[in-house]
Amino acid sequence: MDLSLTPELREFREEVRTWFAEHLVGEFAAIRGEGFSWDDSFWDTRIAWDKELAADGWLCIGWPKAYGGRDASIDEQLIFQLEYARANAPYRGSVQGQDLLGPTLLHFGSEEIKQRFLPKIIAVEEHWGQGFSEPGAGSDLAGLRTKAVLEGDEWVIDGQKVWTSAGAHADWLYVLCRTDPEAPRHRGISMLLVPADQPGVDIRPIRNILGGAEFCEVFFSGARTASSMVVGDVNNGWAVAMGALGTERGTTMLAENLRVAGEVNQMIAEAQASGGAKRAVMRADLARAWSDAKVMEWNALRLMTAIKGVGGDPTAQASLGKVFASEAHKRMGEIAMRAEGPRSELVGNGYELDRLQQVFMSSRAESIFGGTTQIQYNVIAERMLGMPREPRRA
Amino acid sequence: MEQVELDEILDGVRRFVRQEVVPLEEQIDEADEIPAGIIEQAKEMGLYGFAIPEEYGGLGLSMYEEAQLVFELGWTTPSFRSLFGTNNGIAGHTLLEGGTEDQKRTYLPRLASGEWVASFGLTEPDAGSDPATMTTKAVRDGDDWLINGTKRYITNSPVADVVMVFARTSPEKPPAEGVSVFMVPTDSPGLSVGPKDKKMGQAGAWSADVILEDVRVPNSSMIGEQEGAGYVTAMRSLAHGRVHIAALCVGMAQRLVEESVQFALERRAGDTLIADFQLIQALLADSKTDTMAARALVLDVARKFDDRSDVKMGPATAKYFASEAVGRVADRAVQIHGGAGYMRGVAAERFYRDARLFRIYEGTSQIQQLVIARQLIKTARNTGGR
Repeated sequence: MDLSLTPELREFREEVRTWFAEHLVGEFAAIRGEGFSWDDSFWDTRIAWDKELAADGWLCIGWPKAYGGRDASIDEQLIFQLEYARANAPYRGSVQGQDLLGPTLLHFGSEEIKQRFLPKIIAVEEHWGQGFSEPGAGSDLAGLRTKAVLEGDEWVIDGQKVWTSAGAHADWLYVLCRTDPEAPRHRGISMLLVPADQPGVDIRPIRNILGGAEFCEVFFSGARTASSMVVGDVNNGWAVAMGALGTERGTTMLAENLRVAGEVNQMIAEAQASGGAKRAVMRADLARAWSDAKVMEWNALRLMTAIKGVGGDPTAQASLGKVFASEAHKRMGEIAMRAEGPRSELVGNGYELDRLQQVFMSSRAESIFGGTTQIQYNVIAERMLGMPREPRRA
Repeated sequence: MEQVELDEILDGVRRFVRQEVVPLEEQIDEADEIPAGIIEQAKEMGLYGFAIPEEYGGLGLSMYEEAQLVFELGWTTPSFRSLFGTNNGIAGHTLLEGGTEDQKRTYLPRLASGEWVASFGLTEPDAGSDPATMTTKAVRDGDDWLINGTKRYITNSPVADVVMVFARTSPEKPPAEGVSVFMVPTDSPGLSVGPKDKKMGQAGAWSADVILEDVRVPNSSMIGEQEGAGYVTAMRSLAHGRVHIAALCVGMAQRLVEESVQFALERRAGDTLIADFQLIQALLADSKTDTMAARALVLDVARKFDDRSDVKMGPATAKYFASEAVGRVADRAVQIHGGAGYMRGVAAERFYRDARLFRIYEGTSQIQQLVIARQLIKTARNTGGR
């Protein structure tokens, strides 16, 4: 990707930099770098930070102006993410709506749905939770069983979803439901928007390896939503969920991968403080972690280039980037523990973990969620290498 | 020991571990405590002294026999083994390797029966697996010694009756000559035990700081009653401990392979059992191969430990390989379990957290690498090269 900037882009970068310098202060500066998509620590302050960004139009900058965005170009979005990482700002709180659902609504939502929901997302007034995976349908998402039946002008939903990130904070859920049980697996699914605060929706926390409960399971028993709350066409939810690979996917990946560089810097500081950096083996490991972080950053930039339409198939590039990032991040977690030495084993009284321990624990999930490494290998083999499709399952 | 006698012990321990301890694993993890009934039964079965010779009240297993027993113990939460791990292992062996005949006769039977729990006090806040930077000091005062210092991550110290405390008795000498070891009762004035460490894994296995402030002990409490012998004793105890921990890792790896295979045979993706996916089969095969390689290495090293033909490099290779291998096996087990493997209440998740510690305690992987390489280089130099 060509990173030489035009005068206009340089001016844009200056504007962003100045904004961060003026606004990333006080309680926000105190939680620099905190939080992640799987980590809801400092939630209230992070939501306040989201609102700080929103007030000056720095959320979802690629969205059309009509829905509160800036119509920012891909280059501008790229610059924004680089500056965001440079400033080491807290991880945004309400990313489910901003990064995942919002772009889907832009592509597939009816005008009514866009008008109803996008301004609330961009104003950080409504939080979203995702209802995709089920106990029996994870990497094999098309096997989902949660069903929705139209009764009059309402959908009635029954079933169970799992791994709903930040589910405890959700006002609304976007839920994949089987709406035509007779159709082939991929064809009878719809994406419904369901209010979380109703008797038919029960959101329960699940304790994960970190000891926290950022993930939830969601039980639907006769939950209701209006018949118009379908994204895209009824029974076309699979295409909606898989979506066109939007710019946002690229910027999200870039944002996450850039954060990793910050983690490596922390490992280096840790190893220097503990004396571990004096050892050649530790230094070699840190050099590898740093190199991996660079590759992650470049993979994200390549994905941005692919999305601009000048560098190959973005889906394949995204798969490649994900496989590398999730495996590399696990290696980094291991090195982070070694950089800390034996105290890496100690946790707080309530199982509180420091940042590097979190990297070790949470990175273990990354080769599982969003399509396991094994699923990504299939995508790469089929889409990039032209290998035959996996034999039809019995 | 006769094979039939050993088989009887192994059978009994296997049944006890699988029928009595495994069902309590989740409870132990949540409560960070092993139920008293399990502790009593472990004492009755002789588990507090399996590695202590019969003449001192133990079962007197050789390293080769002990390894087979520890494979069985490794099947469940490592906190179970930890209950009596220090009595048999690093603390008991300090007495066994370094003690006078009188000390061994007086104290080892108490360790072997579980009447006493003993801890091994080597690690310090700024001296981990390498004792060269140890700062705890013992100063002669008439017929006594006054000990000052802090020991860190001392396993079983919250329940210990005695701690084997390593201290510099000649600070001007290098550690190999200037460190001695004392058996210090935990009710000695000036000795205090800090709050239990909160660990990432291995809940139920307790460790804490041991703080010594002008703790007065008689000269007779010096192990071996020989000044400066502490370092050699520590190294010998650790060598035994390394084979022991390696065997424990093999046991856990065997359990994880079993958990992985069972899950793969229950879990469907679409209409296909995940056990039928080749990429899942590849993970299972790698884990089984790692486990068998580690098991074979441990048994081979144990035989050579018993005939004293290799008491240093072998134990280091076994501990290094087996602890890294169980880390890989646990990682694959989580991958095979998918999202469930990331959630509390699932054995693979718990073992993933438990396994991390094996690469750290009783000599980190990095220390084992140094031990192995230094032995190679020293041997080559001594034989004059080509």
